[in-house]
Amino acid sequence: MKNRLRVLRAELDWSQAQLAERLGVSRQTVNAIETGKYDPSLPLAFSIARTFNRHIEEIFVSEEKAPAGRLAPTRAGL
Amino acid sequence: MSEQRPNPDPTEAPIEPLYTHPASPFVRTETPQQVDMPAVPAAPSSWVVYRTQIEFGLAMLAYLMVLVGSVTVLQANPTAEWRYLVAVLPVVPAALALSIFVRALSRLDELQKRIQMQAFGFSLGATALLTFAYGFLEGVGMPHLSWTFVLPLMAILWGVGTAIFTIRYR
Repeated sequence: MKNRLRVLRAELDWSQAQLAERLGVSRQTVNAIETGKYDPSLPLAFSIARTFNRHIEEIFVSEEKAPAGRLAPTRAGL
Repeated sequence: MSEQRPNPDPTEAPIEPLYTHPASPFVRTETPQQVDMPAVPAAPSSWVVYRTQIEFGLAMLAYLMVLVGSVTVLQANPTAEWRYLVAVLPVVPAALALSIFVRALSRLDELQKRIQMQAFGFSLGATALLTFAYGFLEGVGMPHLSWTFVLPLMAILWGVGTAIFTIRYR
């Protein structure tokens, strides 16, 4: 699963360690999520979304193609 | 308008619509609402970072002290009635170390738990493999090794497994 975590973190000028501290996880975990080697659990994904004041879909992008007409209305509503 | 504003003090006067209207340039200079930057958290103290190591180290120190004390007392009183109680006493700090270890595991985050699960699985399987292999070799004449080697072997393989699976998520 792709994500924009590194970009969002850079926007706030936070280090991986600072983000990890806010999320209550290790820096190793933040790094593994950023590099796409580990997909976070749903609670952690929500926690990340809350930290950046965004919706989960704005941060995590599934590499599978969503069926046409299903994802589109959600995105339009954002 | 003047009867609606009994107080002539200009600082007390209500804000004129000109300045609160969305088209006013004064509104535009305000900080955007969305920027709600949380404060950068402070670095955790070394007690928090090394809590497990400190607790576990203290428990191990207690274990060694009780063990040495127990052995010393038992050597001086080999036939005393209470020797069984003294002999089993080192289990108490060892149980403390076990409880510290289990609590440390529960404090790990989700990725660390996954890594530990894989490392434990690896160490269990690899220990079984090696001990069985050596068991077969003993059957054809290799020297007998003590069972006490099994735990250190498992601990070493656990460390190796942790390193392997940590690198894998890097």
